[in-house]
Amino acid sequence: MKRRPRLRPTPWDGVTAALILALAVGCGALFRGGAPEGGTAVVSIAGEEVDRFSLADAGEREYTANGYHLHVTVTDGSVRVTEADCPTQDCVHTGAITRSGQSIVCLPGRFILRLEGGSSDNTGVDAVLG
Amino acid sequence: MKRVILYVLYISLLAGCGAPAAGSGEEPETVQLIAMDTVMTFAAYGDRAAEAVVQAAEEMERMERILSRTLPNSEVARLNAVGSAHTGPEVQRLAEASSHYREATGGAFDITVAPVVSAWGFTTDSFQVPSDAELAKLLPLVDGSAVRVDESGTVTLGPGQSIDLGGIAKGYASDLTAALYASAGIERGKAELGGNVLAWGTRPDGKPWRVGIKDPARPDDGNAFAGIVELEDSVAITSGGYQRFFEENGTRYHHIIDPSTGYPAESGLTSVTVVAKADGSGTRLNGAMCDAYSTALFIMGEDRALDFWRTHQARTDYEDAFDLVLVTEDGRVVVTAGLSDRFEPSEDSGYVYETAS
Amino acid sequence: MRTRELTVCGLLTAVALALSYLENLFPLAVAIPIPGVKLGLANIVTVFVLYAMGADRAFLVLAARCLLGAMFAGNMNALLFSLLGGFSAMAVMSVLSRLRGLSVYGVSMGGAAAHSCGQIAAALLSLGSLAPLYYLPVLLVVSLFTGALTGLVSACLFKGLGHVNLKVTEAD
Repeated sequence: MKRRPRLRPTPWDGVTAALILALAVGCGALFRGGAPEGGTAVVSIAGEEVDRFSLADAGEREYTANGYHLHVTVTDGSVRVTEADCPTQDCVHTGAITRSGQSIVCLPGRFILRLEGGSSDNTGVDAVLG
Repeated sequence: MKRVILYVLYISLLAGCGAPAAGSGEEPETVQLIAMDTVMTFAAYGDRAAEAVVQAAEEMERMERILSRTLPNSEVARLNAVGSAHTGPEVQRLAEASSHYREATGGAFDITVAPVVSAWGFTTDSFQVPSDAELAKLLPLVDGSAVRVDESGTVTLGPGQSIDLGGIAKGYASDLTAALYASAGIERGKAELGGNVLAWGTRPDGKPWRVGIKDPARPDDGNAFAGIVELEDSVAITSGGYQRFFEENGTRYHHIIDPSTGYPAESGLTSVTVVAKADGSGTRLNGAMCDAYSTALFIMGEDRALDFWRTHQARTDYEDAFDLVLVTEDGRVVVTAGLSDRFEPSEDSGYVYETAS
Repeated sequence: MRTRELTVCGLLTAVALALSYLENLFPLAVAIPIPGVKLGLANIVTVFVLYAMGADRAFLVLAARCLLGAMFAGNMNALLFSLLGGFSAMAVMSVLSRLRGLSVYGVSMGGAAAHSCGQIAAALLSLGSLAPLYYLPVLLVVSLFTGALTGLVSACLFKGLGHVNLKVTEAD
């Protein structure tokens, strides 16, 4: 043995554990009540991933998809298309999405914004008809 | 020392070998894409899941290039342009199936309604109400019995006709997906093809897939369902006037055009869901059947739809039995007997639930 | 480095690799949905080598484990996680192991906590967002348990191997 380690726990080990716990509680207090709800939003246009952001990053985002212009707003762990100049406006009508697995789609723009990670859809269904 | 380390290594390797291979865990492989003017999501579990969902996505893009009416070089676009063309097996098969469904539904499903649908602008998103004179000119072109498929694989349309396989293509896409999943040995998976659902096998927990039927009265609320069906190895397709529509002078016009009138169908139904067994062998087109019948039965209305269901309960050489969920304008949800024990009403929806037998 | 020592390092690297594979069996993703974050069981090997053969050898074994692990996984993203996690743990442990008051348990817990912080840093870098920070408290609490476990396993190892001299360069 190069250095002989102590093999029985010492009071100082307890202090170390307490320090780590304090760090955990401290971080918990600091970052509380935010993002894990929504996880990550993945944006793809025409099959190519063009952006990836956390729902914790509140703010406005702009995308140009197949000539159409989409304005995306991120707030409070939710994301929605607030404005778009596409003819169908389905993306705007979809409203806000918050849970993993949900997506907003603009067909004319071939634009898909899909949520990953975070808590998953709890509507109790695996798929939707219609 | 060596012995101890080797032993530790041995134990760790044994434990490692016992670990499930990547892909067979709880998380499915998923692919989402836009094809055939809709959003498609494929999910599969198992060792070859990644391969299967990617293949499915590629197959959908291939189908779009063949079946699209709007892509100028597709087989369907060429056929519509010249009136008679040698086509690949997919178009032949769908043209033949379509004439079967047209006969079965007394013309309520007809792929030659295409020019009328275009006149309403549903093909191009430039919506308009066509004039009576225009409709009078176009309606005589709607006659699926004029479409011929000969043995050499040449499809011939009647003079001035054009076809749109959009009312059957997404259902066919779920048939293709089932066949792909089957040949890749996928035991569990699902595919959502623009609101059409393939429930392949069961969920990872061994229970049936829970599939919500969108409430036609609240289409923008993703959590509002007219009911939930529990499906296993099944295809299910919903047609509803709420899916695509436009408003002009206060009147709402939806995309399900009645071939006999040239106008959006007013049958008292707000949505029709058709459910049948999924067939992975590729011999039966149950998805295409559900797609065609959901459109046709929406046009036919509640009474004729239920009569149709009663006369099609037996499995025939051509198609399997199917079940229906009808949502009516007057606030009822009618579930046919074969599905009633797999159907769960939505408590907060306000619908009155009935079972038809 | 003598052949025997090289062999021992190679074996320990293999053990560390096997342990990092073993970690895939723990469904950590349920609590922390960040791809790449791991428990840090391979730290057992780092603790062991640190005491038995010194910091330089621990560094070599760790570097080999991270590189090979990423190659086997075919995933260079995993390299970032294991490098940042592994080396944070290693750095903290080599400092803590010099403190006379701490036993192998305290050192391991400190290492596990540093491993968590390193991995969260990797997640911050690879996702380019602040979201992974929300999982740090959970991961720190988890690291108390993995640290204690690592300490226990190491203590058992040292009890059994206390008489063996692995660092042969000076002794031979």
